[in-house]
Amino acid sequence: MSSTSKQVDALVERGYEHGFVTDIETDVIPPGLDEDVIRFISQRKQEPEWVLEYRLKAFRHWLGMTPPVWSSVHYPQIDFQAISYFAAPTKKPVLESLDQVDPELLRTYEKLGIPLEEQKALSGVAVDAVFDSVSVATTFRKNLADAGVIFCSISEAAREHPELLREYLGSVVPHTDNFYAALNAAVFTDGTFVYIPRGVRCPMELSTYFRINAQNTGQFERTLIVAEEGSHVSYLEGCTAPQRDENQLHAAVVELVAMQDAQIKYSTVQNWYPGDAQGKGGIYNFVTKRGDCRGARSKISWTQVETGSAITWKYPSCLLRGDDSVGEFYSVAVTKGHQQADTGTKMIHLGRNTRSTIVSKGISAGDGQQAYRGLVRMAQRAENARNHTQCDSLLIGDRCAAHTFPYIEVKNPTAKVEHEATTSKIGDDQLFYCRSRGLSEEDAVSLIVNGFCKEIFNELPMEFAVEAQKLLAISLEGAVG
Amino acid sequence: MSSDTQTQHDVQEILRLGQQRMARVMPDTDWQSATRKRGTAGVATMARPDRKQEAWRYTPLGFLDQAEFQPIVEGPFDALQLSDIDDLMLTDPPRIRLVFVNGYLASGLCAMAKSADGVTLSSLAGGLGEVPAMLRQQLDAIAEHNHVFAALNSALMSDGALIHLAAGVHLDGPIEILHVSVGLEQPGICHPRHLIVLEDGARAEVIERYCGLGDGAYFTNALIEVSLGSDSELLHQRMQEESPHAQHLSDLQVHLGARSLYRLTLAALGGAWSRNDVRVTFGGEGATAELDGLMLARDRQFNDVHLDVRHEVPHCTSRETFKGILDGSGRVVFDGHIVVARDAQKTDAVLSNRNLMLARSAEVDTKPQLEIYADDVKCSHGTTVGELDPDMLFYLRSRGIPADQAKQMLCQGFAQEVFDTMASQALRARAGQLLASRLLTSTPEQGER
Repeated sequence: MSSTSKQVDALVERGYEHGFVTDIETDVIPPGLDEDVIRFISQRKQEPEWVLEYRLKAFRHWLGMTPPVWSSVHYPQIDFQAISYFAAPTKKPVLESLDQVDPELLRTYEKLGIPLEEQKALSGVAVDAVFDSVSVATTFRKNLADAGVIFCSISEAAREHPELLREYLGSVVPHTDNFYAALNAAVFTDGTFVYIPRGVRCPMELSTYFRINAQNTGQFERTLIVAEEGSHVSYLEGCTAPQRDENQLHAAVVELVAMQDAQIKYSTVQNWYPGDAQGKGGIYNFVTKRGDCRGARSKISWTQVETGSAITWKYPSCLLRGDDSVGEFYSVAVTKGHQQADTGTKMIHLGRNTRSTIVSKGISAGDGQQAYRGLVRMAQRAENARNHTQCDSLLIGDRCAAHTFPYIEVKNPTAKVEHEATTSKIGDDQLFYCRSRGLSEEDAVSLIVNGFCKEIFNELPMEFAVEAQKLLAISLEGAVG
Repeated sequence: MSSDTQTQHDVQEILRLGQQRMARVMPDTDWQSATRKRGTAGVATMARPDRKQEAWRYTPLGFLDQAEFQPIVEGPFDALQLSDIDDLMLTDPPRIRLVFVNGYLASGLCAMAKSADGVTLSSLAGGLGEVPAMLRQQLDAIAEHNHVFAALNSALMSDGALIHLAAGVHLDGPIEILHVSVGLEQPGICHPRHLIVLEDGARAEVIERYCGLGDGAYFTNALIEVSLGSDSELLHQRMQEESPHAQHLSDLQVHLGARSLYRLTLAALGGAWSRNDVRVTFGGEGATAELDGLMLARDRQFNDVHLDVRHEVPHCTSRETFKGILDGSGRVVFDGHIVVARDAQKTDAVLSNRNLMLARSAEVDTKPQLEIYADDVKCSHGTTVGELDPDMLFYLRSRGIPADQAKQMLCQGFAQEVFDTMASQALRARAGQLLASRLLTSTPEQGER
């Protein structure tokens, strides 16, 4: 993407913030969760009755559940009654110029190569009115509408496309799925709905940059993407720039539905606040992501670059129901400082000739803790199904940890499953080679690490890939030596 | 969330019945009482494992509800003649052989060639005379009660081989520990407990076998402790060829001293339900463990291997190669857990698990795991599941070899890599024959491709 269009993206987002924050500022409710809070949320969102019913059903189910404890991440118990479930995000003061912005933040932007205008947008500096973001947003919206693509907030979808939402909401991740999914189903306040009609190739990469209600990181975000027969969509979530957020717990749910011959590509770059040097105050990112390949020859591909958050705990999964359907998972996770990540995927092969590929790269530095946890299940009907899994961990520093917990369950002899995992540190000989050619230690590490992650970056949309590489280099700054 | 009181009851019941009968038959030997007490306390506090427990996630324990296992307290099988167990003998029988029948030493069946000085052989129940102090002290020194059955073993241990090699002693030829189980009217449960201690620089070869005579139902709950001193070397070959209706659970716990070498070959071929837990702890730098295993599961057989390799100290090497062959409605579970502790730098660990599925209704659940807390390590694991290569089958058939035989040849070849790690030629031959005969007798399924 050219820098101009990046500026545009940033402005689109920026512009929306203006109109939105004032609107909901009055809607703050005190911490606590009961049925009244849920009714309040539903009412403020002007949702139809059935959405409220759905929320209440999820809430009642959630009450009977206990938080899961099986992962290898550690955190103090969360008091769910201490969270405000409908609070407007704190409005950032508008600054006069970049001089007022934290120089540390600016340096990071610089390194990421974020253009000046975008820097302003991200750090909350007033931008020139010349860039009329609203009109840009409208243009995009028109393009999408011409193609028949629905791209709106989930609340909007509840009002304007209730029949679609009703059919698909909770159909991939039911409200009974897990503790945090149940919580999300009860209180989700934000999120995106995407519907690609039959045979349509979405004319642009859909990104939360462009999103019409650009409140970027909802605490209980709910994303639903439905790709009808033969359609194609690529969705980008997140941002390479450091994101600060007042909410510590993020429990999002993402549901993808791919019909026959449809393809969904879902890319995530996550760089939320990881906490201070002691790991205090960082974001807990507990997300349920699942894609359902319902039709034959459908394809769902997850790509993620996870560098932020104090705790990342998620397993973007694929349910391969259609014959010849394809699931992919490409992941780079970086943990440093006191960050923890427990991530991986589930590939459930139900249909014949289904194929899945898992490539997971973990980089652990400092006191970072990291686990790959994955499941590959070949059901009895999964004739000729195929899976290849590769999990590599790179260790930097003697206090970090990297774990691999793959589960493989095979009930069909014609299915082929291969799993390989390696764990090692950066080779001294590799480092020496780079250093002998005049690279600084940091550049050498960056080069080696980027090579280690290349397979994943190749899967990212181009402009993201460039930023992700830089992001990785920054993340690992000071980790070596 | 564990099983309700009723299911918990069966393990308690086994303990209660066992203790009752033991009190009557066996004089309480003082030196064992601490172990038994620890076991009893363990059983009281530990719930019966269920699917909610990670280590038992894939291990079904339904058989515990279906049979009331009676304690076997005495060996009424002195009547058993050598000729009765002729079929179980290796072609080249080791000169030292300890035979246990239903968990108790049958001295009439043992062979006790004069061994080198510094080799001490004893039996837990005293069948080979007073147990020397050095062995008494070592009993229960490294055993961990990782599950209720290990505690049950400590509480009710029946008999077992106690082997001690003094520093620097090299044993010539293998020691064979042969278990023979005879089905009783009521399915019985026995708790063999073995201890192998090699002092610094000692070297030994041990063959450990579990066989069934006839096809009775019984439950073997064994626990084996192995302690290797610095620079010692143990070749440990274990073969499980229990009767087709037997349940076999064995918990092998190994502690390695500096620069020691431990080589284990495990062939788990028999039983209706079989689980082998192997825990290897590296206690001294520079030690090496080579673990190889073959699991066969056919016709509703369940075969489970759980490895727990703990690299606690730097500069140790471990190699794990485990293979599964599945036929009929067999089920194989493999869990290979490698932990590298903080500061266990220069650890080198490679684990591989390969599974061959021959039939539609078979199932493999495999879970290789790496848990790493140090950075300067080389660790990897690999797993594959697949069927026989159709090209290979075609090649053999095109040379006039019938399909069944071709299949068997390919399986044999697949297993050979594991069998080849057995030092004993006779055992290797027996493993090969057993595998061949079992593969042949498994019924080919209809509609097989």
